[in-house]
Amino acid sequence: MENYLQNKEVILSVKDLSVRFSLRGKSLHAIRGVSLDVYKGESLAIVGESGSGKSVLTKNFIGLLDKNGTIDKGEILFEGMDLAKFKTEREWAKIRGKKIAMVMQDPMTSLNPLKTIGWQISEALILNRGMNHAQAKAETLNILKDVGISEPERRYKQYPHEFSGGMRQRVVIAIAVACSPEILICDEPTTALDVTIQAQILSLIKDLCRKYGMTTIYITHDLGVVANVADRIAVMYAGDIVEVGTSEEVFFDPKHPYTWALMSSLPQLGEKGHELYSIKGTPPKLFGVIRGDAFAPRNPQALKIDYMVRPPYFEISPTHKARTWLLDPRAPKIDPPECLKRLKELENIESGDMDE
Amino acid sequence: MSNENVVIKTPLLSVRNMDVTFGKGKNAFKAVNDVSFDVYRGETFGLVGESGSGKTTIGRAIIRINKLSAGEVIYDGKRISGQIDHETDREVIKNIQLIFQDPMASLNERAKVDYIVSEGLTNIRHDLSHEEIEERVAKALLDVGLLPEFASRFPHEFSGGQRQRIGIARCLVMDPEFIIADEPISALDVSIRAQVLNLMSMLQQERGLTYLFIAHDLSVMRFICNRIAVIHKGVIVELAETEELFKHPLHPYTRVLLSAVPVPNPHVEQKKKVLVYDPSCHNYSANERPIWTEIAPGHFVRGSERELTAYREKLEKR
Amino acid sequence: MADKKKKLLFNRQMRRIDELDQHIQEGLALEQADKELPMYDAADYTAEQIAAIDPKWFEPHGFNEQDAERTAYSNYSYWASTFKNFWRNRAARILIVALIAIIAFAFIQPLLPNQHDPVTINNDPETGMHLRNLAPCSEYWFGTNAIGQDLWARVWAGTRTSIIIGLVVALSDLIFGVIIGMAWGYVRSLDKALTEIYNVISNIPQTLILILVSYILRPSMTTIIISMCMVGWMAMARFIRNQVVIFRDRDYNLASRCLGSSTLRIVVKNLLPQMVSVIMLQTSLAIPGAIGDEVFLTYIGLGIPTSQASLGNLVEAGRVLMMDSTLRYQLVFPAAVVAFITIAFYIIGNAFSDAADPKNHV
Repeated sequence: MENYLQNKEVILSVKDLSVRFSLRGKSLHAIRGVSLDVYKGESLAIVGESGSGKSVLTKNFIGLLDKNGTIDKGEILFEGMDLAKFKTEREWAKIRGKKIAMVMQDPMTSLNPLKTIGWQISEALILNRGMNHAQAKAETLNILKDVGISEPERRYKQYPHEFSGGMRQRVVIAIAVACSPEILICDEPTTALDVTIQAQILSLIKDLCRKYGMTTIYITHDLGVVANVADRIAVMYAGDIVEVGTSEEVFFDPKHPYTWALMSSLPQLGEKGHELYSIKGTPPKLFGVIRGDAFAPRNPQALKIDYMVRPPYFEISPTHKARTWLLDPRAPKIDPPECLKRLKELENIESGDMDE
Repeated sequence: MSNENVVIKTPLLSVRNMDVTFGKGKNAFKAVNDVSFDVYRGETFGLVGESGSGKTTIGRAIIRINKLSAGEVIYDGKRISGQIDHETDREVIKNIQLIFQDPMASLNERAKVDYIVSEGLTNIRHDLSHEEIEERVAKALLDVGLLPEFASRFPHEFSGGQRQRIGIARCLVMDPEFIIADEPISALDVSIRAQVLNLMSMLQQERGLTYLFIAHDLSVMRFICNRIAVIHKGVIVELAETEELFKHPLHPYTRVLLSAVPVPNPHVEQKKKVLVYDPSCHNYSANERPIWTEIAPGHFVRGSERELTAYREKLEKR
Repeated sequence: MADKKKKLLFNRQMRRIDELDQHIQEGLALEQADKELPMYDAADYTAEQIAAIDPKWFEPHGFNEQDAERTAYSNYSYWASTFKNFWRNRAARILIVALIAIIAFAFIQPLLPNQHDPVTINNDPETGMHLRNLAPCSEYWFGTNAIGQDLWARVWAGTRTSIIIGLVVALSDLIFGVIIGMAWGYVRSLDKALTEIYNVISNIPQTLILILVSYILRPSMTTIIISMCMVGWMAMARFIRNQVVIFRDRDYNLASRCLGSSTLRIVVKNLLPQMVSVIMLQTSLAIPGAIGDEVFLTYIGLGIPTSQASLGNLVEAGRVLMMDSTLRYQLVFPAAVVAFITIAFYIIGNAFSDAADPKNHV
C-alpha cells in the first residue's frame, strides 16, 4: 500500500475549507478547516455520523450549499479553478452534472414524477452533451442497459412511480453517469434501500466507475458500505476530518480514538452476552467555539491537552494521517480496544454453508 | 448441538395463523399471511425481513394498532386479539410495550419528558399518587442512563439516542413483561446504536424481559436474538435458533439475506457474492404446495415435499 | 491582541462551571492553562512551540459519563421561541400595537370628555337646522353625515359593534370548529356521517343561509352573529379535520394509544398543542372575515339597522355618496378602519403562524 500514491494525480483538492451556517442570528461552524485531496480514479469514502458535516462538505463541490451557508475560508481546486470562489449559477452550470455529478440518498427527490424516465435521461444528454433527440434516445437506451435495467425500450416510456426503489436509484445513477462526469459523488446511495438491493447498487456504481474511469466520493455512515467500495477513507467528526488513510490502514490500523469507537461499537464485533463497546454521550453542537479536540468529552482516554488545543495531523504513513494528540511522542501509549482485533477474525467466521 | 437450552420453554406470546389485510374489496392487500410463531418467556425473538415484508405490521397487530383479519394472538394463555374485556385490555396495556423506530417521530414534541414517560401510568395506575408516579419516572430515566432532571424538559432538546432512551423509559415505567422493539436502532447514528443495544440487553438480564426484535439487519440480530424468523412478503419462510440459522440456512430467501449482510472488513466485503432471490426458483408444480415444517428440532422452514427432502439431505451432510 | 483577549473571555464563558471545578480541583486554574496554551488550534503554533509544550498536558484527563450525556443539551422553549420570533417581525410588532390601541380606544372613546353621541342628530344652535353633511372641522373631527350625526363618534361606535361581532363569531368558530373538527378527524366511526353532513351544508351557498336567517329573525346584531356562527364553524371544522388526519397516525399518537390514553386525552394533549399555531392563524383570520361579512350583509340590505352604527352601515352610507367629492370623507373614514383592521389581523395572524412553526426556530 506504500505505492498507493504512485502514478496518482490529484483531481480535486480542498484546502483549509471552513463553512458556516447562520441560523436565526446564531452561527454554526459546520466545516472547521478541512483539507483533503481526491486522487483521479480512486474511490474515496467519507464516513461520519449525521451532523458531522460529510454532506455539507461535498455539497460545496457542486455548489448546492444551502442558502444560509457560506464558505468563509479555504479553497476547492478543480481543473485549475477555485470552486470556493464560484458565485453564480452560470459558473456552476459548467461543473454541475458535466464534471461533477451527484447521486442522492432518496431517488424520488431527484426524479421528476411527471416526466418519463427516458425524457429525464435524454434531457440531461441534450443539455449537457449537445445531442439531438435521436442521438439522445439511442444513448439513453445504451445507458439504461448499462445500469442494468432490462427491457430499456419499454422502461424508456415509464414514469418514476412505476419503478421500485432499487430501480429508481439505478435511473438516478443513469442520469448522473449520462454526461460521463469526472467525479461522481454518492450521498448515502443505498441507505433508503433494502439490504439485498444495496449490494447490487454498490456493485453497479463500482462497475460504472471502472468502465467510465470516474472518480467516486461516497458519503456514508455505514462501515459495511465503506468496506465494500472504498480505496481510501476519511473519517469525519464534528465538521473535521479526524483520520484519513487507505481502506486497509483505517480498518486494520486505526489511530484516532473516534475511529476506534466507531468500529468497535459495531454489533458484528460484539459477543453475545457481553456488552458492546459503546461511545458515551452525543456529538457536540457546532454553535460557538469548540476548543481542543471535539471528541474529547466523549473520549475516556482523552488527555488534558485534548481539552485545550486542537491536535495537528500526525502522519503515520504517506497516505495515513490522524488528528489526535495520542500520536505525540509525549502522550502515553494507549492501545486500541481489544474488540478491534475481531475485525480481522471476521474473515474466518463466515458461515461454511454459504460458499457453494 | 443446541441441547444446552433444554430448559422448559413456555410460550409467553403465541401468534396463531395471523392475517392482516389492508383496504377492502379490489384494493385489499394482504400484508400478513397466515403467520404463526411462539415467543418464549425471557428470550429475544427476531423477526427479519425487507421493507414491505409485513414485519412491522405483525408487531403492530400484536399491540392492537392494526386489526387482525384472521387468526389470533395469545398472550400468557389469554386471547388478546379481537374483542376483549376491560380487565384483559388493561393487562395488555401494562404488559406489552412498543419501542418505535424513529425517535424523532415517536415523542410528543409539545409535552415535557415527565408527561411522556408517565402517560401510561396515569392511564392505568389510578392507585398511585402523584409523588409515586414522579418517583417512578425519575427511576425509569435513571435506568436508561438519563438524568432525572431531564423530566422537566421538552423532547427537542435531546439527541436521537437520548430520545430513543426516553422512548424506552416510557415502556419501562409500566414494568412490562414483553417489549416489541420495531427497528429500535436503525434510525440512530452508528455511535449511538451500541448504547441502545447494551441498554436493551442489560434490562433483559435485570428484569427478565421478553423481546420481539424487528429489524432488517441480520448483523444486529446475530448479536441480540436467541431465535430468528425470516419473513418475506407477509409469509414466514424460516425460523431457527440464531446460530443454527446463520450456519445452516435452508430457504433460498434466508440465504439471500445472509449473503447481503454487510461485513465491516474490506477483505471479506469486496469478495462477497450477493445472491438474488427469485421466487420462481422454487419451481412449484401445480399440485405442489409449500408447507411449514419442523425440519430439525427447533428449525422450521417452508417448502414443498421435494424441497424439504433436499433440505433434510443437506442437514444430514453437515 | 484585543481580539485574542475577547476570544479568551468568550471561551471562559462557554466553559461550563463543573469543568472549571474540575480544573480547580486539579490545582490548575484556567488562567494558567490559557497562559500556557493560549491558542485553540495546533495549526496556530509553530513546530518549536508544539515541541515545547509541557509533558504534563499529555496526562489523561479523566472521564465523566454524565458530562458526556450533557453535551447535547440545548436550552429551548417552544413558546419563548415563538414569541421571540414573532416579536422580531417589525411589521407585526407595529401592527399589533396599533391594533390594540385602536380597539382599546374604540371602547374608551365614549368615556372621554367632549364626545358627541353617535345617534343624536346635531342641530345648529343658531338656526336649529340639522348639521347635515358638515365637512370635518374642529368640532366634528370626521364631519357629520346626511342627517347630522357626528361621524367621529359613529366610526368608533361602529368599530365597537364590528369588533364585538368579529370576536364573538371567531370565538364560536373556534369552539365549535375545533370540537367538531377533532371528532370528525379522530373518531373514525364519525368520519362518514360528518363528511356527509358537511357535504350537504357546504353545498348550500353560505350567503343563502345568512339571508334566510336574517329574514327569519329580526335584523339586529344578535341575528347577524347567530347567522354567521351557523355558517362559520364549517370551514374551521373541515380545516381541523384535515390537520388531524395528517397527525392522527404519527408514531407519537400511536404510542399514546398503546399506553391506553383515551381519545379525549390524545386530542387535548397530543393533537391540539401540535395544531395551535394553525388554529391561531385561522381564528385571527376569522375576525376580519366576520367584519367583512357584516359589511357585505349590510350592503345587500340585511345588516344591522342604521339606528345602531356599525362599520357595515357606515361604509354602505358612505358608498352612496362616493361620487360626490365633497362628501367622500363619509366613505373614507369607515373604509379606512375596515381596511386597517382586516390587514392588521391578516399580517399578525400570518406572522404568528410563521413564528409558531418549529421549523423556523433554531
